[in-house]
Amino acid sequence: MKAWKEGMSKLSDAVITQEKECVKINRGKKFLALDILYIAMMVLPIVTAITLKVLFTPASKGVTITGPLVYFRIPFIIQDFIITESQINSALVIITILGICLYLTHGLSIDPTLKRQHIAEIIVEKAKGLVSGNMGEAFGAFTSFIMAIMALSACSSLLSLFGLFPPTSDMNVVAGWSILVFGIITYYKLKCGPANYLKGFTEPVAILTPINIIGEFATPISMAFRHYGNVLSGVVVSVLVGSALQGLSAMLLSWAPAFIAGIPIFQIGIPAVLSVYFDLFSGLLQAFIFAMLTMLYVSGAFDPEGYLEYKRKKQEKKMKKQKIKNAK
Amino acid sequence: MQPSEIISVNIWQIVVSLCNLVILFLIVKKFLYKPVCKMLKDRQELLEKQKEEARQNLEEAQSTKQELEKELEDAGQRAEEILAQATAQGQRRQEKITEDARAQADDIVRQAKVQAELVKKQAEAEIKAQIVEVSFTLGEKLIEREIKEEDHHQLIDDFISQIGDDTDEK
Repeated sequence: MKAWKEGMSKLSDAVITQEKECVKINRGKKFLALDILYIAMMVLPIVTAITLKVLFTPASKGVTITGPLVYFRIPFIIQDFIITESQINSALVIITILGICLYLTHGLSIDPTLKRQHIAEIIVEKAKGLVSGNMGEAFGAFTSFIMAIMALSACSSLLSLFGLFPPTSDMNVVAGWSILVFGIITYYKLKCGPANYLKGFTEPVAILTPINIIGEFATPISMAFRHYGNVLSGVVVSVLVGSALQGLSAMLLSWAPAFIAGIPIFQIGIPAVLSVYFDLFSGLLQAFIFAMLTMLYVSGAFDPEGYLEYKRKKQEKKMKKQKIKNAK
Repeated sequence: MQPSEIISVNIWQIVVSLCNLVILFLIVKKFLYKPVCKMLKDRQELLEKQKEEARQNLEEAQSTKQELEKELEDAGQRAEEILAQATAQGQRRQEKITEDARAQADDIVRQAKVQAELVKKQAEAEIKAQIVEVSFTLGEKLIEREIKEEDHHQLIDDFISQIGDDTDEK
């Protein structure tokens, strides 16, 4: 009985001290200042991007669909090193995501007192569940990589909601990601031994080797083109529909005086609907698809049985070498 | 500031975007994934600790409860024993008292009987004397003649003894 009472008092004391600490954290001025800094980190990059866009976009004549603006062009080996709108926007997106991460994990405690902590927990747990569900528990370390891919892809595509150039509609950006994924896939295939990796191309029949090689390189290319094409097609369709609606409204109002005819009445609501589909839905879906394909390819590339066998053979070889050495 | 071609491949751009992804991966890992995972792990540990404590407390409480129940049972048994003892003692005392009372009553009765006997004998003797006297006077007066005193006594004694027998019988 005595011990029980002591335990209860200890427990209640611990709870009280914890609550006090939480209150202290919430009321600290430093905490608030950091919060404001993180929110600024989230918002300012987008403002910067919009400012850059407004300042540097050249006046266009008619309907033009162009690639990203080139800010700097530095002569370099092989090709010029260019810094384009997509590079700048990607960097700004990274800063935004860093701000979101810092904001969400700010004031993290065992007893959640802040609502943002729940969001952070949900994100991490969902990502964990997705990765372990698609790749297996062994690939748990990939969770943060998948989260990064999803966040970068989704946020890049969502930049078009602000009227900015989405970096994902630049092929070079997505190509970089898919090449990285291809590198990871190859790394996991090579884990079973280089000989086995090369042998894998001649299966099931030796004649299919060229097709297998093409298939191998088709993976990153298809991933890059799928994502890039979807986002770019959204941009193209949006621009086309916008200009078509402008023309339509101008045609219908051609009888009216010039200042009325200039009002693009059809452009008021319809592009918003298109934007919801192409920018919001398609962007998020492509991010999800890219992450899913990454997970499937990487987990499919790794053959646990082959890996174990390869390791065993390697060990046997080592043992034999050691035996020979010992014999000498 | 001229826009680039819509489909243009630049190796350095590809490399930069690859590095961007790697940087973002490190950022997400360092600033979101690891802190949250650590916190979740800590929470899990705390929960397990608390659960363990609660289990221990429950076990302690249960053992205490059992002890108390045992004590209660013992107390009940003892109470019953005491009650039985007391009952037995009471009964014994009652019996003793009754016995004493009975003995006393017997004594009293006996004494009373002896006294009664004594009184009776005294009374008999008295009555005898009186009767002798009365009968003597009566006889003198009735018969009006002189009788030998011896004969007279004989007669009266007979008579009295007859009376005594009668009273005894009654």
